[in-house]
Amino acid sequence: MINMEVNIAGIKMKNPVIAASGTYGFGREYGQLIDLNELGGISVKGLTLKSREGNASPRIVETSSGILNSVGLQNLGVEYFLENELPFLRKYDLAVIANIAGNTEDEYCEMAKRIGNMVEGIELNISCPNVKEGGVAFGTSADMVFRITQKVKVNCSVPLIVKLSPNVTDIKEIAAAAEAGGADGISLINTLLGMAIDIHKRKPILANIVGGLSGPAVKPVALRMVWETANTVKIPIVGMGGITSSEDAIEFLLAGADAVAVGTANFVNPFAPIHIVNGIWEYCKKNNLKGVRDLKGMLIDK
Amino acid sequence: MFNKKCKVISNHEIAPSIFEMVIENRDIAIEAEPGQFLHIKVNSGSDILLRRPISICEVNNDNITIVYQIIGKGTTQLSLVRSLEFIDVIGPIGNGFPIDKEKKCAVIGGGIGIAPLLELSKRLKNCDAYLGFKADAYKIDDFERYCDHVIVSTEDGSSGNKGYITDFMKHIEKYEVVYTCGPKIMMKKVKELCHVLPSVTCYISMEERMGCGIGACLVCTCKTINTDDSKWHYKKVCTDGPVFHAEEVELSD
Ligand SMILES: Cc1cc2nc3c(=O)[nH]c(=O)nc-3n(C[C@H](O)[C@H](O)[C@H](O)COP(=O)(O)OP(=O)(O)OC[C@H]3O[C@@H](n4cnc5c(N)ncnc54)[C@H](O)[C@@H]3O)c2cc1C
Ligand SMILES: Cc1cc2nc3c(=O)[nH]c(=O)nc-3n(C[C@H](O)[C@H](O)[C@H](O)COP(=O)(O)O)c2cc1C
Ligand code: FES
Repeated sequence: MINMEVNIAGIKMKNPVIAASGTYGFGREYGQLIDLNELGGISVKGLTLKSREGNASPRIVETSSGILNSVGLQNLGVEYFLENELPFLRKYDLAVIANIAGNTEDEYCEMAKRIGNMVEGIELNISCPNVKEGGVAFGTSADMVFRITQKVKVNCSVPLIVKLSPNVTDIKEIAAAAEAGGADGISLINTLLGMAIDIHKRKPILANIVGGLSGPAVKPVALRMVWETANTVKIPIVGMGGITSSEDAIEFLLAGADAVAVGTANFVNPFAPIHIVNGIWEYCKKNNLKGVRDLKGMLIDK
Repeated sequence: MFNKKCKVISNHEIAPSIFEMVIENRDIAIEAEPGQFLHIKVNSGSDILLRRPISICEVNNDNITIVYQIIGKGTTQLSLVRSLEFIDVIGPIGNGFPIDKEKKCAVIGGGIGIAPLLELSKRLKNCDAYLGFKADAYKIDDFERYCDHVIVSTEDGSSGNKGYITDFMKHIEKYEVVYTCGPKIMMKKVKELCHVLPSVTCYISMEERMGCGIGACLVCTCKTINTDDSKWHYKKVCTDGPVFHAEEVELSD
């Protein structure tokens, strides 16, 4: 019997695979194609206090083995989520993580209070590169990460995961600041800021000019950052960035992640998360591991 | 909506850079409505990462026909797929064209935009087709089979009338419903022509770059006006559309 269960700072999941925020909506759409009960958890689309329309189109470009997106947190607000989306997800056996983004520190706190303990965990999105106010602005200096984590933590009745941006010079310093601020866990990476140009029109392809890079292209960067973070903090880590296969996921677990999230890969193959769960199980079996938790720290890097 | 590996029955060029592919899948074929699309994985690597949205052109029993133009690497790759190979398809997706069989209708297509209008013509009883092309016209015989009148134009005059198709729609007031798909500039013109005629309802099929293609990621939005309170909102082309009421969408470029 291989134990696939993980516990991320008190968020119990039957397996370590989470649908990444913003790529999975609130589960309804992918629920038409796959059985959501097969997921360990879902991090829902980034929520804001009030509804937001997001950025103009085009919002996506395909790049070499990746995509750039500039959605800009389009959503109907936290209240709408609690009333109309959460009850749907409650029909399934999976951990629900509310990904929240505010324009101000107070907005983050208000959302955390409003959500209370209606979900299994809160993911503090201080890493969205596609909004003018808030978002990544809170996530790129250690001081600010410490402050906002501390403030929100006081208002948070469930485990608080802080989602980090890769658009920083030293991820270790940021991760340490989140831990010191009281984060129960860390997730990373959000998207890498990038750009694409249409040479015929001589114009940026995204209406927002810049956008966030995700997909296989970012995986080596994400993996390195997860490894550095794991060597810096004691709290659990959710690793993501370009995970497409179980082999990719196992790399993240070996690098020190306790769970993984799958984003862009869903667009390509809706069954990717299920294949990843099965592949991790098979790897554990082949290597005579008792459970997925044994993978953490098995990397021979000394 | 299903995610299926579909057998390719045929795939060949029907006009310069225009391909017709027939795939087989019973579940998708049964559910398919005109105006809906398929989200197609053109190969298995991560080089061409995203799926490509392609309209359902025609449905015959278990077979679905698509017609596509070679634009870039995705559609080039699709053109290389051979008969009896399998392709990974999600579909049918989105809201198709609302159909009222009793009404007098026109379908107005420009270039590859004619594709979703064929199955529509087949399911309408009283329908004329206006089909505009740059140079080579295609699928005309099929439209002639299902429509009362088919008016064709090409910009170079090589088939049908010479000029833009919108120049040959003199009596749009004789129709109750107009359906259009094609270049934005053409659809804009059609929208304007219908806008001044309260008796004509116009539906537009929109295009936008897509990620998931099934309504989850919000990258495919277009600007829409709520006709009740005249406030605008972004709606998803993939699942709120691709077909919209013409008065609802903004056709900016
Ligand atoms: C609902 C819908 C139905 C469509 N139906 C058809 C059809 O029946 N026949 C047909 O030939 N074409 C159709 N298209 C357009 C078709 O999706 C694009 O031509 C195709 O994606 C181009 O891919 P590429 O890799 O060859 O081009 P590239 O330019 O290399 O593509 C780069 C990226 O941009 C996207 N892209 C480029 N052009 C478009 C476009 N016009 N619309 C949306 N995304 C685009 C691609 O999907 C890809 O992600 C439809 C588009 C939509 C949204
Ligand atoms: C279209 C899109 C929308 C996203 N929206 C959010 C969001 O609302 N909140 C957030 O924290 N991350 C968001 N992300 C980032 C992903 O959750 C994830 O961190 C990133 O895409 C890297 O993982 P991947 O390579 O598996 O996609 C979004 C990513 C994409 C592609
Ligand atoms: S493409 Fe993802 S919502 Fe339309």
